[in-house]
Amino acid sequence: MSVTQLETSVRHTDRDVAVIDLKGDVTAASEAALMDAYREASRDEPRGIALNFSDLDYMNSGGIGLLVTLLVRAKRAHQQVTAFGLSDHYRQIFELTRIDEVIGVHPDERHALDAARLGARVR
Amino acid sequence: MPRRGWVSPWRSGPPASPPDPLPTTTVAFDPDDPLVEHLAQVAEPIALDRIDLDSPGVRALKAAGMALLVPLVTSGELVGLLALGPRRSEREYSTNDRRLLQDLATHAAPAVRVAQLVREQEAEVLSRQRIEQELHVARLIQQQFLPKSLPEMPGWHVAAHYQPAREVGGDFYDFLQLPGGQVGIVIGDVTDKGVPAALVMATTHSILRAEAARLLAPGEVLRRANALLVEEMPANMFVTCLYAVLDPASGRLRYANAGHDLPYLRRAEGVVELRATGMPLGLLPDMDYEEKEVRLEPGQGVLFHSDGVVEAHDPERTMFGFPRLKELVAGATSETDLIDRVLTHLAAFTGPDWEQEDDITLVTLSRTATAAVIGMDGPTDAAGLPPQARVLAAFTVASEPGGERAVLPRLAAAVDPLGLPALRRDALATAVAEATMNAIEHGNGNRPELPVRLVVAATDDAVLVTVTDRAVHGPSPEGPEQPDLDAKLAGRQSPRGWGLYLMRNLVDEVRTRDQVGGHTVELVLHRDGVAS
Repeated sequence: MSVTQLETSVRHTDRDVAVIDLKGDVTAASEAALMDAYREASRDEPRGIALNFSDLDYMNSGGIGLLVTLLVRAKRAHQQVTAFGLSDHYRQIFELTRIDEVIGVHPDERHALDAARLGARVR
Repeated sequence: MPRRGWVSPWRSGPPASPPDPLPTTTVAFDPDDPLVEHLAQVAEPIALDRIDLDSPGVRALKAAGMALLVPLVTSGELVGLLALGPRRSEREYSTNDRRLLQDLATHAAPAVRVAQLVREQEAEVLSRQRIEQELHVARLIQQQFLPKSLPEMPGWHVAAHYQPAREVGGDFYDFLQLPGGQVGIVIGDVTDKGVPAALVMATTHSILRAEAARLLAPGEVLRRANALLVEEMPANMFVTCLYAVLDPASGRLRYANAGHDLPYLRRAEGVVELRATGMPLGLLPDMDYEEKEVRLEPGQGVLFHSDGVVEAHDPERTMFGFPRLKELVAGATSETDLIDRVLTHLAAFTGPDWEQEDDITLVTLSRTATAAVIGMDGPTDAAGLPPQARVLAAFTVASEPGGERAVLPRLAAAVDPLGLPALRRDALATAVAEATMNAIEHGNGNRPELPVRLVVAATDDAVLVTVTDRAVHGPSPEGPEQPDLDAKLAGRQSPRGWGLYLMRNLVDEVRTRDQVGGHTVELVLHRDGVAS
């Protein structure tokens, strides 16, 4: 079984927020792809980043470790991170790990983008 | 007054009782006789010698000495006939006589028609009751001989569906426990319907059971069954039957076929028919049955079926047909849901008003795991399982990064029949993936030649999955301290180290045990529980 790669794309929707679309598997093997995407998303120093999990196939503890790494970096950069498109299962995992308390988990992109902007202003 | 008279129904059956002591004569003639049509048109008393027809009825009536015919006509239909001999006075029938007789006929005809209808209806009710009773008996016989349970073989999944038509059609299937752990699979169809078919089915069932226990070779079993059935089979009846013998340990399936619909074998390369030639049972003496063999590999499966599926019709009378069934088999990823798929497609094809034309029987057999794993490692792994646990699947994955990903589809297929709620099923999948990842990385040190073994089992209350590595690096680490997100975000803990925490929180119990040459993690998910 070959390791399924993570495909990412970054959308700079406006000056304040960037969206990272994640497609495939988020595991320890996704480190380069995810961190490259994060750098690209942070290029114009947006105040918030929304992670799109709509096309996520699989995420394991290694992938969660990566997300925490990303959160640490975002925290240093004073960026608000939000998420949308999570399945019930991964929403449960975000709750178990309390990641949902740090990342705002939203039902759709519009809410996730609004929250990313708002969170940044409050901060 | 007439010297002799009677109401003569030309339909078969005795004439109504005549008034005593007048003598009666029975005159029978065909409903197709031109006289019938003629009288319906005339619809009034007519002298027999005035009828100019080439008619056996007229000749018979004349021979019986009749003179006047009074047709009983209602709604343009001739429902009876009053035939009278010559007047006793030997004078012609007068105009008054005829008027009187016509009045009588006008009043009598509807009453005769009503009486006929009542009699027809009574006959119909009786015949319907008899048919219902017969169907009931046929169904009872049929059900008596269907297997009460499915064979359970580690690494295999067997499913069956039997759906009788209203007129029970004579389908049957059976599973036989054979020496050496082998399992016999029978599917058959008796021509004809109802009680006769059910009785022949019962005989065939008993003969096959007796012969299969004695002879292992499927071709030989069918040859003997044919020889015995030829002696007893009623005329115009025969039995199509496929008999297969599976060796679950090797996956070897030997089969012979007495004219039954060919089973489909589903493989990654496509679907093939399992062909073997042979005449239906009970037709001719001294028949030989070709015996073929195929090896079922993990992930492959077979669909056995009766003609009730492929010969079902849609409202436009198009047949469901073999190509559609074959396509459904090809589209299946496992046999576990194949029966449902076939029935769903069949229902959509036939439409809601379909009256099932023939019995429908579907039996699926699929191999879910490698026999090598079962054979060599089954007992070791099963040692830790409760005795009532059923093994749903057992397999190995190579110890390479991402290897845990290969576990997920196999686990999903194995637990699919349990119908777990989606959230519970996904929680189990992630926990098993985490345990496998630990086994690959820590237990087997990412050495691809070392397998991680998984056994998926179920009891009535729980799903159990064991994940066993070779423990070459010693037991898997119990993990660092409890992961704490705040500590991780503040850089006081590594961002990683979530595996064991997830496992413990996604399933209800996590147990570990060490044995010689291996370390096993056992995950338990209660089937009615909620993840903590």
